[in-house]
Amino acid sequence: MRLALSFGGLAALFALPFWLIPAIDPEGSGFWQHIFVTIFVFAAMACAWNILGGFAGQLSLGQTIFYGIGGYAGAMLNQHFGLIPWLGGIAGAAVSVAIAVAIAWPCLRLRGPFFTLSTIAFLEVIRLLAIHFKDFTGGSAGLPVPMFVGTEMRIGWAWMLFRDKENYLIIAFGLLVVCLAASWAVRNSRLGFYLVAVREREDAARAVGVNATAVKLAAFAISAGLTSLVGTFHGIYLNFIDPETMFSLPTAIQVAMFALIGGLGTVTGPIWGTLLVVPIAEAARGWLGAAANGLHGLVYGLVLVAVVLTMPKGLVGSIGPWLKRRLGGAAEADTAARIEAPEAAAPGEERPPVGEPLLEARNLTKRFGGLVATNDVSVTLREGEVLGVIGPNGAGKTTLFNLLSGFLAPSAGGVKVRLPDGSWVSPGSPHGFAAAGVARTFQIVQPFTGLSVRENIMLGAFHGTRSAVEARRIAEEVAATVGLTGLLDAEARSLTVGGAKRLEVARALAMKPRVLLLDEVMAGLNPADVQQAVELIKRVRDSGVSVIAIEHVMAAVMALSDHIVVINSGKLIAEGPPSEIARNPAVIEAYLGEEYAHAAA
Amino acid sequence: MVTTRRRPLLAGFAAAAAAPRIASAQGGEIKFGALYPFSGGLALLGDESFRGLEVAVEERNGAGGVLGRQIRLAKGDAVDQNQAIGEVRRLMSVERVAAVFGTYASPLSFAATQVTELQGVPYFEMGAISDPITERGFRYVFRTCPRSSDFGVATVGAVADALAPAYGVDPKSLKIAILHEDALYGQTVSGFQEQQIRQRGLTQVEKLAYSARSVDLSSVIQRLRGVNADIVLHTGYQNDIVLFFRGMQEANWKPRMVIGSGAGYSLTDTARAVGPAFEGVMNVDFTQFAVNEQYAPGVSAFVELYKRRYGSDPRSGHSLANYFGGRVYLDAVQRAGSTDKDRIRTAVLATDVAEGTTPTGWGVRFDEKGQNTRVRPFLLQWQGGRQVTVYPAQAAVTQLRPQMGAAG
Amino acid sequence: MDILLQLIANGVLLGGVFALISIGLTLIFGIVRVVNFAHGELLMVGLYATWIMATQFGLHPYVAALPLAVAFFFLGALMQRAIIQPLMNADPHIQIFATVGVGTALANAALMIFSADLRSVDLPWARQATDLFGLASVSRGNLVAFAVSFVATGALIAFLNRTHLGRAIRAVAQNRYAAPLMGIDVNRIYAITFGIGAGCVGLAAAVLAPLYPAFPTVGSFFVLTAFVVVVLGGMGSLEGAVVGALIIGLVESLAGYYVAPDLKEVVYFVIFLGILIVRPAGLFGVRGNE
Repeated sequence: MRLALSFGGLAALFALPFWLIPAIDPEGSGFWQHIFVTIFVFAAMACAWNILGGFAGQLSLGQTIFYGIGGYAGAMLNQHFGLIPWLGGIAGAAVSVAIAVAIAWPCLRLRGPFFTLSTIAFLEVIRLLAIHFKDFTGGSAGLPVPMFVGTEMRIGWAWMLFRDKENYLIIAFGLLVVCLAASWAVRNSRLGFYLVAVREREDAARAVGVNATAVKLAAFAISAGLTSLVGTFHGIYLNFIDPETMFSLPTAIQVAMFALIGGLGTVTGPIWGTLLVVPIAEAARGWLGAAANGLHGLVYGLVLVAVVLTMPKGLVGSIGPWLKRRLGGAAEADTAARIEAPEAAAPGEERPPVGEPLLEARNLTKRFGGLVATNDVSVTLREGEVLGVIGPNGAGKTTLFNLLSGFLAPSAGGVKVRLPDGSWVSPGSPHGFAAAGVARTFQIVQPFTGLSVRENIMLGAFHGTRSAVEARRIAEEVAATVGLTGLLDAEARSLTVGGAKRLEVARALAMKPRVLLLDEVMAGLNPADVQQAVELIKRVRDSGVSVIAIEHVMAAVMALSDHIVVINSGKLIAEGPPSEIARNPAVIEAYLGEEYAHAAA
Repeated sequence: MVTTRRRPLLAGFAAAAAAPRIASAQGGEIKFGALYPFSGGLALLGDESFRGLEVAVEERNGAGGVLGRQIRLAKGDAVDQNQAIGEVRRLMSVERVAAVFGTYASPLSFAATQVTELQGVPYFEMGAISDPITERGFRYVFRTCPRSSDFGVATVGAVADALAPAYGVDPKSLKIAILHEDALYGQTVSGFQEQQIRQRGLTQVEKLAYSARSVDLSSVIQRLRGVNADIVLHTGYQNDIVLFFRGMQEANWKPRMVIGSGAGYSLTDTARAVGPAFEGVMNVDFTQFAVNEQYAPGVSAFVELYKRRYGSDPRSGHSLANYFGGRVYLDAVQRAGSTDKDRIRTAVLATDVAEGTTPTGWGVRFDEKGQNTRVRPFLLQWQGGRQVTVYPAQAAVTQLRPQMGAAG
Repeated sequence: MDILLQLIANGVLLGGVFALISIGLTLIFGIVRVVNFAHGELLMVGLYATWIMATQFGLHPYVAALPLAVAFFFLGALMQRAIIQPLMNADPHIQIFATVGVGTALANAALMIFSADLRSVDLPWARQATDLFGLASVSRGNLVAFAVSFVATGALIAFLNRTHLGRAIRAVAQNRYAAPLMGIDVNRIYAITFGIGAGCVGLAAAVLAPLYPAFPTVGSFFVLTAFVVVVLGGMGSLEGAVVGALIIGLVESLAGYYVAPDLKEVVYFVIFLGILIVRPAGLFGVRGNE
């Protein structure tokens, strides 16, 4: 249904200038077709930009670097080697991707405004170099696209130059479809999920095995390649390219603005944004431009401010939900009511015996400046075991977890994990640990709010599969295990604390880990929920996953754990079976203070 | 940072939609397009150029029009290349113009002529100076105004033929430095200057480019001072010219002469902003109004027409160049006897007007490429706050003064 | 006179100009955490305002500095309240585009009102060369700008460290969530900070008016450099902005002479990128602030 609507909308968008306007107004059609070419070109660029700026959340204002490279590649290869722009465009896209990777490498380490400014800096550098090396690029004098070379006329489909203007419309529309399809495919693939995850919470994304730099790089490269293709076409359409036009910062800002006004990070938003703003800009220019120079720009600027203030989520983000509500989407029911108890363990299912060591940390030490957060801690997790980690607040438990999952590099000591084939590895990064089968949750739960519950879980599932269908199936399976089936389509932000904690566990479980690190999944839950959580963890354990759990709820730790380690002030002060730990004076002292320990003794 | 330099996207289709549809059956009229930047950063001189054409058209209409019909101009607003394409298409399809006049800025001309050429509509260029516009093998693109290369010839010629004699020295002994902003205008003109200097065996000591958005030219001035340049050939816009002169003042240094190449050097505004230091500065440009009437008959009549029509003095010589071009083309269309593109081409190429007989002093003789070969920019000098023609002698209204800086 | 000394003198003085323009930007950047893309346009408005005061009311530009700074304080506070405040919790992208919209509107309003012509404040005194200990020749106006940039920076640093309000501003910068717990009205602090940042621009405009003519796009000539200076120095660091400005000024001057004038921007952008890669928080920035 939605698919049919989308295709219908696209077809209408094409039919309007291609058939409808010529039928109504044959005289003016050439002009209208030009406007639609422009809309298609800018919408295509906005779609391409959105892959980086929207999905990955990297506000690049240097995208015209690639528009320019595409334009120059098409024109220069045509001029010097007589290469048709179709091939020139592909060559340009290849160069763009290579340059994008080279640029992204340093830029992507920067965040927020720093990233943005570094992309602007690169754009300026490339523009100035294109002007300076005029023997190569033609400099500011620009390059006219060859049309007559000797007796040869470079006109027709091969050369992208036409007498019949509607052919331009076909190519521009084709580019829009390509960019839109790429954007759709990215959004619905593993990469798209990863990008959104990295955008919203980079640490949690890394925990599900996402190589944050790599996925941002991929988004940068895809966006650059697509932008470059558009640039090749538009350069030929303009017939004249110069650095000022091709490497233009204002154009880069404009393209980003279209995506933003339409709805950042939505697939169709960039098209809506372009469809809205281009006509407004032109209407303002047409009506006001003649009256007073500058008036149209003034109105344009004010409209931009007004749109941003009234619809900060863009057209799709603001109007979409409103439409949904109007069209009778039932009000979100109380989500708490829809959380079910986790599936009970099947009767007769036997707990597998505790086996060989699976994860070993040796002499872990972590210093932050003068502070020693973890001091020579060694722990061993055995197959099929639940290892409880307890200790007072600030004892260094979470630091230990960060060391065990690769989020922090130890100052001394090391962690190794046994792979299914029996060999041991010592990963150095979160995605390395994820690859070795270690999954974790975070103490402060923040689901990826831009995604539904199902999509949140799929994010974990993508660790083991590239297929979205398969990931969806795993998500449903895991949701049933943790009791979130009824909420699969709910927005993750609507969950209660209990629900969000389960989601956190579900996402980790969807990675099909062999080792699960749980960071206070029971904190803040009511007793009934705690009971359910205990059952859930037992079930996880019984399914063959080894668990390390940081927990404050003593009764639960005692009931669950096979083995407990106690940490205080970064040091391991005791370890042993629960019964022993409960009687250990050092533990009692650490928890309840010295006096209590003496009194008890 | 997003300012008026931001190039709006499209042609003003709203204007198109709002414009009253004149039934094309209005037989009493012949319609031409007028494609200029009417808004955006280039608007001032785009509009000034249009006025020259408008005066020419109104004059012609007063004398009965062309082909026995009254001329109507359909305006097209081209702010950037993309818009130039949209507007020229609108002019051809909606307005059904017989030919298009334009354009003032070269990139706009490149973009627009491509469209007209493929449609077989004649394009009459009267202001864009980039050489390749008429070197692409197009049949229906013509240009009446001088090219970048003509500016190169004229500036270097001014040094060798006017300035060196005035100094009473051998031109080869003068150390010439080229300074230019790095946008299209500066880069092309300076390229031809370099070529000319080499051809004439003169002494070039430095060639420096700078970004038109520079806020400081002190290091440029130190370089020029380091090579002890006698003559600086400078192509710049308003702001950088002001910075250049202020920088020289700060550094307490100046060459013997600065010769500008049109653009910012022609504007009274620049002269006012620079102040007394601008006195004596030379400039090579389209014909200005302080020109010898005997060599440019009709120039004061044009100024009169202009004043009557717009209530002020012309703001620059662009209007005059477009007035000249408009007259040449309208005359050719009249002689062609129809609006058929090939007959227009034949008539345009057949035009033969001697130099010194038109309001610009330029003659008319087109080559096969459609370029007028009897045009050249003149050498002007700022004297007493006015720009006066000082070379060539026939066009000059006063003597060249070899000093730069406040008189005395 | 030694050419190198002259170039260094030029570079340092140009650094003073950049510092003057950048201190307001870095303050807003560091404390309100908003990238104000309309910063250059504020400067442009200031240059026009100075021009009007000088030509219409015969006010000396340096005398105009004070009323202008005060007027700009209110302008900035108003801009923060009307446009930035409602977007404080929105995506940072949105804030950027809100300021882009303001900048576009301002530049075009100037084009409408004043046309594209240059408007120059006539103060020949400022443009006269003065001999610097026989080592270099510099303009008096540049010396004034340099001195003002140092005094303004010093005054701002003292204000931030010594006064109650200044400390509150720094508290907000350090932790915008904890500050309200200590009884600080964060929104009021933001408005004041934006106002002070804009006031600095007003001051800069008055001091620079004798040196640079006003025209609608003049803001865009300065704003990228100002961003480079601010990021280089470290977001929110006033000392960093001054040091960054001096570095960029010197690079412009020296690269313009020894490399090529049209590549000087390339040189300083490359230095900028290089420093960012080595020290992502800038020279004086605190890690984690980025």
